[in-house]
Amino acid sequence: MKKTILFFLLLIAYIGRAQTVSIDSLKESVDEHSMKFAGLDERLSGMESDLAKLTKIKFSGYLQAQYEMYNYQDNIGPGPSTTAVPIKNSFYIRRARIKLSYEPTTGAVFVIQPDYAFDKVTLRDAYVQLNDRWLQTFKLFMGQFNRTSYEVEFSSRSRELLERSRMSGILYPQERDLGAKIEADLQTKYEIPFKFQLAVFNGNYGVGSLTNDLRDVDNKKDVMLRGVYSFAFPSKGLGIDIGAHAYLGNTTVLQAGTFSDANNKDFTAKIGDSFQKRWFGGEMRVYYDFLGGMSLKGEYISGAISGEKGTTILPVANSNPSFNFNGIRDFTGFYATWVKNIGKSNQIAVRYDSWDPNRHLSGNEVTIKEDLKYDSWAFSWQYFYDDNVKIVAGYSLPINESSTKVGGNFTKDVLDNTFTIRIQAGF
Amino acid sequence: MKNTKLKVASFLLVIMTIGLSFTSLNKITVKGSDTMVILSQKWAEVYMQKNPGTTIQVTGGGSGVGIAALINGSTDIANSSRPMKASEVEKLKARYSTLGVEIPCAKDGLSVYLNKANGVSELTIKQIGLIFAGKITNWKEVGGVDAGIRLYGRESSSGTFGFFKDNVVKTDYAPSCQTLPGTAAIVNAVKKDKFAIGYGGAAYAEGVKDCKVKKDDKTPGVYPTAETIKNRTYPISRYLYMYLKSRPTGETKAFVDWILSPEGQKVIEGVGYFPVK
Repeated sequence: MKKTILFFLLLIAYIGRAQTVSIDSLKESVDEHSMKFAGLDERLSGMESDLAKLTKIKFSGYLQAQYEMYNYQDNIGPGPSTTAVPIKNSFYIRRARIKLSYEPTTGAVFVIQPDYAFDKVTLRDAYVQLNDRWLQTFKLFMGQFNRTSYEVEFSSRSRELLERSRMSGILYPQERDLGAKIEADLQTKYEIPFKFQLAVFNGNYGVGSLTNDLRDVDNKKDVMLRGVYSFAFPSKGLGIDIGAHAYLGNTTVLQAGTFSDANNKDFTAKIGDSFQKRWFGGEMRVYYDFLGGMSLKGEYISGAISGEKGTTILPVANSNPSFNFNGIRDFTGFYATWVKNIGKSNQIAVRYDSWDPNRHLSGNEVTIKEDLKYDSWAFSWQYFYDDNVKIVAGYSLPINESSTKVGGNFTKDVLDNTFTIRIQAGF
Repeated sequence: MKNTKLKVASFLLVIMTIGLSFTSLNKITVKGSDTMVILSQKWAEVYMQKNPGTTIQVTGGGSGVGIAALINGSTDIANSSRPMKASEVEKLKARYSTLGVEIPCAKDGLSVYLNKANGVSELTIKQIGLIFAGKITNWKEVGGVDAGIRLYGRESSSGTFGFFKDNVVKTDYAPSCQTLPGTAAIVNAVKKDKFAIGYGGAAYAEGVKDCKVKKDDKTPGVYPTAETIKNRTYPISRYLYMYLKSRPTGETKAFVDWILSPEGQKVIEGVGYFPVK
């Protein structure tokens, strides 16, 4: 009996000790793991803080690679094509851009967007944007950015057609300019769907040489104003944007010579003379939720444009590559684009655009090719392969005014049609 | 002959490409607001039981993520706990030539969560805003004990983050506000931390206490209850939305119509939100 009691006492003591040991080791293990977790927590907070800084930096970009087939006069397409070696087709990198934006605090954004070509890198966008934090209505931009026009601001990565209208390319060469802009958007704070833009630019970007792009070439600044009101009728699936814009600028003569005025009369201009670049435009876009979405977009601009012919003499003239002669002209231009979405992945678009650089002359009255009117058709079919990739097939068909006085190829419509297959990848 | 075959093949290819773009499988994808995930999953679950041929896939990620997915075509329906921004509508216009379709599908109140041991139980909207902006940093400034306030909030892609910022904080959140992925994580953090404060959907307040919210110093504090949210006396209440790129057709239309029907709206209260009708 005593032996049995002794055995049980020993057993209890052993279990008790074992439990003490087990609880102690458990506590030790818990403490050890708690410390490890605290350490991990600390490291995680540090990493979170670093990551939060990185999320303020955003990269986006796109690449447009394309294959083009030309139906040019004598099959001489763009680029190095000559009569001796006519080029009927080519592969071509149209765009390779990466945009970096950094928003260190809400409402302050820095943007840089270089454009990469195989032989050079050029700066497309470089600006600071400050958003007003009090009224949440105004934005101030300063640096190099898009001019305030619908077609210009509508990025080529989103555009339905392969290229902008001829009018936009001539009035806003290279799209950008150096300056400052104030934008007011009354939607956020006041729920009034009105947007207003006022911009002041050097006014000589994309004309003349690259040197001319760096700084202003005169003391006068060009002013742009644009306002757009957006009507929405959600129950009808209808939206209408109506707007107007004005460009009030000038061209300063950097090389003396003979110029032609708006009435086609020659006169002599000296260095420092200033000619108007002044135009007014109206714009309208209708969006209609019809079988998956459809829109009709149009713009009409009329006014006076002026420019200088580019030469090799210094200083480099204010020559717009698409308005490359000594003259002042009253012009009109417009475009109308029809876009239809088919399902989630397909979209077709047709555009008719017109550019008349000299509305006082037509047909055989036109004596120089720069005064010829162009009416162009453009067609495209876009297939959205996924979130990042789209394939576009497009055809452009410019039809020029013919004039026997201009002569040469321009006695009839010049062959200058292009068929393009483009693959665009963006992120 | 070879040319004819090539033309026929090209023609068929075009027809097939366009035809396939119209082919709609009975699969609906829903993406967006984390606040709406539970509600949306419940809708999908009940609807799929009644319509076994339909598959509805619901994922979260935040309102901004859902709307971005709608714009890039990777979802049919975007759930959002905030109205679509003008910039997002512009993107829809550019991509689909439409303004999008907004469907308010439920009402929600945003609770301000406090730890149950916290002596403070009532705050004005202004005080809450100042707390999350980092201007009030100690509980004693709002009638509590002398202890620092720890802030928990949502990530910037969240509609709740945006709604709370626009309507309560009205400036940037304090840098010390710790962002967490989802309202459940915020509730969990506040539950464990005596001096914490967080915000999120009223449906999630389990194990924490709701703060009574006052419009200003003179008005009484109001709890986020079914009644106060429905009659809008609770100051931080909002609509929950579904967005589509264009007017729905086929199975998507049937699903949306069902959500807005008395049967679909009945599901809402079971999940802690409130019907729109």
